[in-house]
Amino acid sequence: MAQPRVALWAAEADDMDDDLQDMSLGNYGQNGHYDDTFFQQPQIDEATLMAMQQHMAQQAAFAQIPDVVKGFIVHFHQAVLENNLPEITIAYESGWNKYTEKFYSRTEWPEAEIIAPLVNDDPIFLILYRELYYRHVYSRLQPNIDDRFHSYENSCELFNYLLNSEGPVKLELPEQWLWDIIDEFIYQFQVFCTWRSKVKSKTDDELLMLAEGGPVWSSYSVLNVLYSLIQKSKINEYIAAHQAGKTPEEIAEIVGEYGVRPLYRHLGYFSIIGLLRVHVLLGDFTLALKVMENVELNQKSPYTRVTACTVATYYYVGFCYIMLRRYPDAIRTFVSILNWIMRMRQYHTRSYQYDQISKTADRMYALFAICNALSPSRLDDNIANISKERYGEQFAKMAKGQEDAIPAFKELFLYACPKFINANAPPYDDPVALNTLLQSSPDTSSPDFDSSALSDPAQRHLSLLLSDVVAYTPVPTLRSFLKLYTSLGAKKLANFLDADEEEMVQQLMVMKQASRSVTHVPGGKGLLDGQTASTSDLNFVIDENMVHIAESTVGRRYAGWFIKNTERTQKLYDDLKNQPLPPPSKSAGHGANGAGAPVAPVQTDVKPVRTGQPKVAWGGVKVGA
Amino acid sequence: MASWVSPPTRTELIEDLVSGVDRYNPSNVSILEDYLYHQIRSQEYDCLANLAILKLYQFNPDLYNPDVVINILIKALTAAPLPDFNLCISLLDERPINASLDEPDPLPTLLPTLKQLSDLLYRCRFPAFWEVYQSDELENLRDNYTVECVGFEDAVREVAIRAVKATFTRISADRLASYLDLSGSELVAFVDKKGWKMDANVVSIPPNPDNQIEATVVQENIKLAQLTKVIAHGAST
Repeated sequence: MAQPRVALWAAEADDMDDDLQDMSLGNYGQNGHYDDTFFQQPQIDEATLMAMQQHMAQQAAFAQIPDVVKGFIVHFHQAVLENNLPEITIAYESGWNKYTEKFYSRTEWPEAEIIAPLVNDDPIFLILYRELYYRHVYSRLQPNIDDRFHSYENSCELFNYLLNSEGPVKLELPEQWLWDIIDEFIYQFQVFCTWRSKVKSKTDDELLMLAEGGPVWSSYSVLNVLYSLIQKSKINEYIAAHQAGKTPEEIAEIVGEYGVRPLYRHLGYFSIIGLLRVHVLLGDFTLALKVMENVELNQKSPYTRVTACTVATYYYVGFCYIMLRRYPDAIRTFVSILNWIMRMRQYHTRSYQYDQISKTADRMYALFAICNALSPSRLDDNIANISKERYGEQFAKMAKGQEDAIPAFKELFLYACPKFINANAPPYDDPVALNTLLQSSPDTSSPDFDSSALSDPAQRHLSLLLSDVVAYTPVPTLRSFLKLYTSLGAKKLANFLDADEEEMVQQLMVMKQASRSVTHVPGGKGLLDGQTASTSDLNFVIDENMVHIAESTVGRRYAGWFIKNTERTQKLYDDLKNQPLPPPSKSAGHGANGAGAPVAPVQTDVKPVRTGQPKVAWGGVKVGA
Repeated sequence: MASWVSPPTRTELIEDLVSGVDRYNPSNVSILEDYLYHQIRSQEYDCLANLAILKLYQFNPDLYNPDVVINILIKALTAAPLPDFNLCISLLDERPINASLDEPDPLPTLLPTLKQLSDLLYRCRFPAFWEVYQSDELENLRDNYTVECVGFEDAVREVAIRAVKATFTRISADRLASYLDLSGSELVAFVDKKGWKMDANVVSIPPNPDNQIEATVVQENIKLAQLTKVIAHGAST
């Protein structure tokens, strides 16, 4: 039967029969005269034509996937289905990255629809696959507006599945992946906000989509996800119960069916850190520290297994302290994490996160330099040295406190600060307002463009820090003068500084103020708590017009050196005593040699004069003992 | 510091709001705004609750009430040298253009002034502060806002007193007068109320941890535990 190929796909048999009637009349294009009805086929055919083309495209794309990748996906899927945590971890950490490097370093992975047949259209695995797919797009390629919207929808589906299924899901995923899910979610939110605020560079299509976008990547929905995960997993109750030392049964009672599962517990904890980060990005530093109320920041906590999470936590906490003017606390935080990173570095050189951790560490060195300039302390020489190595030039300017200090602070702050975002979108849904905005913003290419400061939150926070810096700039000079005296008349000091006396007195009050900071005391509840403590070794007071100065110095530390060397000497003596006596047939000189040889390696690091040459008298003493 | 995080004057209702997720619910903004006005009238101060209001404004621009923001900033001024004022500024995102207000927004004109005042207080430029504050340009601020805030000027005087207490053991009355914007009998009354002594035009400030100084040498504290190994060895041979 002469059937045109297209009719095979037609949905409605009736129409097909009609067409058949016409076509079997021999108008099959042989004589060039086409029956019009042939081309007025119902829309169904067009749709199915497209479906067929799409299917063929998919098949072609599927065929293009290398076999190893297909095998990997099947294996990965199998591991996820079986909740085989070690296999999943391997597939996730090394497998995915290996094939990305090999085949997909510059393109996207195959779309979820294409690989769906390999995994029997398993919706959960496809959601997870898409999560990885979009993460790859965001990090290696440039996401377009469709990517952004779709990745949001996929994230919503994932969290919906996790939170709104009937009861906790049976899925088990490695901790690293769970942290990456949360981390990536917030990262995509942050880049979306930054991209969204650039009104000028939008195409018409994008403007349309943004106008109708509505809740896509809204602050409320992101916060909602994080708070829901925290509440569902009852992570705060879990931590409190753990700290109170309750038994596992009691803890299970308290946290409920979701909280006992490691998946939810980890997601809950990572959501707390996620909240810390989102609040900092939105400029709310006190709330950021407040959500960390129950979390104990120490490196023995069981949650430090995910390095990236720990590093992020300390970075954001330290930054909050800076904005709260609690520089000693910030310094302490940075020193602690930077030391930890140095120790952990050896385990991470092969990890794909190494770069990210190094970059964050570098920013923390910059922030440390800022804090050290504003509140000098002698806490950790090692970290201070590394910081000076990297930022010595800026640090010198900042510490001197003259006019050069301001640009140096600005440079380091803008390099090291988080990528702040605006909570609200420009008015895409209101064309009139949008036009006003576009016209009112001046030319961004002029170098003196200062009102960009308004729409860029980072500038706003920078200006707050700079106003503090300006208050501080005369202090280093004052310090250097005060160090030279025990008491000094105000008038005399003013003469030295070439300044007005009253102004200088006020500056002294600022200096006094700067030497007092709120610091966290051990045993204090939560990160916001603290007491005022003195942070400077130079103390002074003004008696009407006389400045009295008292400096605290650190006495010379000799105990360590003496104890260490005493112990070494004792060990050496013990070793010597335990040496076998020299064979009596040899001469005394040789005997001493025999005794000398094993001792030689120990001798090199002992301070007292003990030459390599054996002494006959020594050997003599031995024999006598 | 604990009382800054959780002031004893905060009610349980506010505590629940500030510490929980209800703080994001826009319909709760009026509770927090009422609490602000209570603080203004009764000379109380609760920084975190006020920051919660600013956060609600950040997410819901249509809730924005410029008078509330100005009052929050005024209250934060009196907390110097704590960073409260800066924390408030951090939460003031740029206003979207299509925001609808019945009257023109007074905040953009007042904000630079308030920032300047905060700056002067942080840099302890108290005479300059009073000069700027009493000047004609700030008449709007004084007549419409700070007059509502009970005890605003006294609170600023407290800021000055905090700085003076830390730095001086004795201070000339004239200098103190310029810091407090008080003179003559008013100054005497103020000093009296504080319980400080004044004679021959010099005010004595009672000792406190900040204005008592002594040169200390941080001595090394050698503990017995560090020496046990050495001593034990010496004893055994």
